[in-house]
Amino acid sequence: MKSAAVPTVFIIDDDRGMRQAIHDLVESVGLRAESFATGEAFLGTRHTGRPSCLVLDVRLPQMSGLDFQRQLAETGMQIPIIFVTAHGDIPMSVRALKSGAVEFLTKPFRDQDLLDAIQQALGRDRIAQERQAEIHDLQERYHALTAREREVMTLVVSGKLNKQIASEIGASEATVKVHRGHVMQKMQAGSVVDLVRMADKLKLPPRK
Amino acid sequence: MANEDVQKMLAELSKDLLESKARLEEAQRVAHVGHWEWDLETNVVVWSDETYRIFGLNPQEHPMDLATVRSMVHPEDREPLYQGVDQDLVAGERPNAEFRIVRPSGEVRTVSSLTSERWSSLPGDTKRDASGRPYKLFGTIQDITERKRAEEALKQSQFYLSEGQRLAHMGSWAFNDSGHYWSEELYRIYGLDPQNGAPTVEQYLALIHPQDRASMAETINRMQEEHCGFDQIERIIRPDGQLRYVRAVAVPVVEQGVFKGFIGTTMDVTEQELLTQELRREQAYLAEAQSLTHTGSWACNLLTREIFHSSDENARLYGFDPSQGAIPFDRFYNAILAEDEVALRARLENAIREGADYDVGFRIRRTDGALRFLRGIGHHNPSQEIGEYVGITMDITERKRAEEEREKLRQLEADLAHINRVNMMGELAAALAHEIRQPIAASVTSANACLRWLARDPPDLERARAAAARIEQDGNRAADVISRLRSFYKKGTPPEREMVDIKEIVREMAALLRKEAVQHSIKIHSELDENVPNVLADRVQLQQVFMNLMLNAIEAMKDTGGKLTISSRSTPQGQVTVSIGDTGVGLPAENTERIFDAFHTTKPQGTGMGLAITRSIVEAHGGRVWGTANQDAGATFHFTLPAKAEADA
Repeated sequence: MKSAAVPTVFIIDDDRGMRQAIHDLVESVGLRAESFATGEAFLGTRHTGRPSCLVLDVRLPQMSGLDFQRQLAETGMQIPIIFVTAHGDIPMSVRALKSGAVEFLTKPFRDQDLLDAIQQALGRDRIAQERQAEIHDLQERYHALTAREREVMTLVVSGKLNKQIASEIGASEATVKVHRGHVMQKMQAGSVVDLVRMADKLKLPPRK
Repeated sequence: MANEDVQKMLAELSKDLLESKARLEEAQRVAHVGHWEWDLETNVVVWSDETYRIFGLNPQEHPMDLATVRSMVHPEDREPLYQGVDQDLVAGERPNAEFRIVRPSGEVRTVSSLTSERWSSLPGDTKRDASGRPYKLFGTIQDITERKRAEEALKQSQFYLSEGQRLAHMGSWAFNDSGHYWSEELYRIYGLDPQNGAPTVEQYLALIHPQDRASMAETINRMQEEHCGFDQIERIIRPDGQLRYVRAVAVPVVEQGVFKGFIGTTMDVTEQELLTQELRREQAYLAEAQSLTHTGSWACNLLTREIFHSSDENARLYGFDPSQGAIPFDRFYNAILAEDEVALRARLENAIREGADYDVGFRIRRTDGALRFLRGIGHHNPSQEIGEYVGITMDITERKRAEEEREKLRQLEADLAHINRVNMMGELAAALAHEIRQPIAASVTSANACLRWLARDPPDLERARAAAARIEQDGNRAADVISRLRSFYKKGTPPEREMVDIKEIVREMAALLRKEAVQHSIKIHSELDENVPNVLADRVQLQQVFMNLMLNAIEAMKDTGGKLTISSRSTPQGQVTVSIGDTGVGLPAENTERIFDAFHTTKPQGTGMGLAITRSIVEAHGGRVWGTANQDAGATFHFTLPAKAEADA
């Protein structure tokens, strides 16, 4: 059953019965499930690149689910979160959703509500992963550029003409044209517009 | 001269002589003076008639001889008298003497005997012996008894006067044309030497204390110019440096409209003055203490309404001005608030009848309109006179107000505690909800998973069974939470059963809630059957049942007032039924059974636990509780408890 394409649902709940029940429900719809009693246990595992999401109990023994959500964001781990709670209130759910949670469910919940939320979360994660993969690809291309080529690329995406670039870097216009050709080729850009979009995705700082 | 003439002349002479003798006799009788002649040679004594009368003898009956005279002299005076006479005669002096005689009647008289310068009654009859001693003595004897007595009396009264002055530290003085007289005691008072005589005005003023000197000088000045008397107390400084207080009184002497001078007395009043000052100081301290503590003192006969003493503060407590003089009893009495008067009168009359002390609180309307709380403590006078009391009145208004404030605060605290309890109940309910919700949510999710395993094609029975097993587990877990809670509640207070008298608990609770009831104008009335048996119960829990039901009843009547009735009776089934009824708002029209449910409440601040706890306690004792609506107004709650025989079961 298990394959690299199967997304994983991570579950963190200190209540064993609840944890097992969600785990089982997730598996009953053919998804992969991994469950943990605490947030630390979850952080201790290595995550694969496949789409995943986190079903998180708001009330955990050491820290609240909301604090754990903030901690994850601070360490740069991006994973869609579905909160479940036995005693949620409106301000708490608003706070969770504002911080990027996919859904906030009150126990006991309808199974379909949880499964829908899981699907939504996995879809969101899949898109995020694709974007991450694209950026990863672009970064590899960018790393292949020489220092001079990166300099030229920065100036091109900020809209400078070849002549301006030449005077700025102290080279001939012909030399600039050669560098520019290498950049377009290595970055696999079809046009300057393409190259600008790439620079944006790479979050390159614009040259003044 | 012819014989006839001689005869005639003799007859006239004889007549003259007789007349002259008669006059002499009369003169002697009037003056109580007699005469005597004593022939020293023959020892013959001749007495005039008056002399006989002085000796209490009849002149006709008693020819006199010396031995008789001697025997009549008072025995105590006899020897000295005769010795004195002999000595005088030997010395050639006239023997004069004062001595007492004893009349035949036993009466004692004092007489003065004087011997004539001529020694003899007859002119030329101056026969003397060789030593010049006369042969005859002539003299007078005078009865001086009355004079002596007057002298004695004067001496006595003078002694008494000076003794009196000495004892009273009072001196007397006179000031007139003939001079300035000071009594002995007056010298002593001023510490002056009588030898130096009475002081002049200047000397006198020098003795006065410097602070009183000017006013004394002024007084003396006015006294001399206007001839008016005075009565004043001044300080003097004696020559030995001692400071004394003297009270001087002077009155002008006027005889037939003519001013003659002054007489006066001066009295050393140092001790009295110091005592008076001390007394005044003590009184001032006492008055100050009374004013500071708002406590007045009094003594009066409550029966006859006579006031013997009422301190200034006592008057001020009632708003009267003490400087206006004595305040009649009725003015004090009429200040008492009409609402308190009946009860107060009853207390006082009771105390008076029993001759007992009392301690009462009452309210008055002061003359300025202010309402004050007073406390009166009366101590039955040891004189045992009926109705006579000494005591104090205290203004306890501030204390009363403080008490009321404290009471309000206490009420507030109670309210807060109540709200806290409500909050705690809320938290308890939330915790409970979470504890139970968790396993229920797990079993619901597992059931969902189970259904999905079964819905597969083919169904995954293995996984479905595992899910079903978890459903059972979680179901049991939820049940455990509940039973854990129940056992916790039960463990909390292990019941301590004892024989309890319901009447006693009702009395305790009624006493405890009386204040609360009075505040809301609610009368607590009990109709307890004397024959109701004791029940076996946990006393504290039973108190709680009564407290809950009685508080509910008070709550139901708190805006309207009314009557809270507690009754008890035994049933033919051997149970005890207690009913607690009110005349308040009554039961809700619907959901009458639900009032015993936990969290069911109709009050804004109610927990909804009171009746639920009541039911749980009563049922734990094997009893039953229910509520009924009264016909006219309000509701009655009843509960039964098994009598002791069944309670053990």
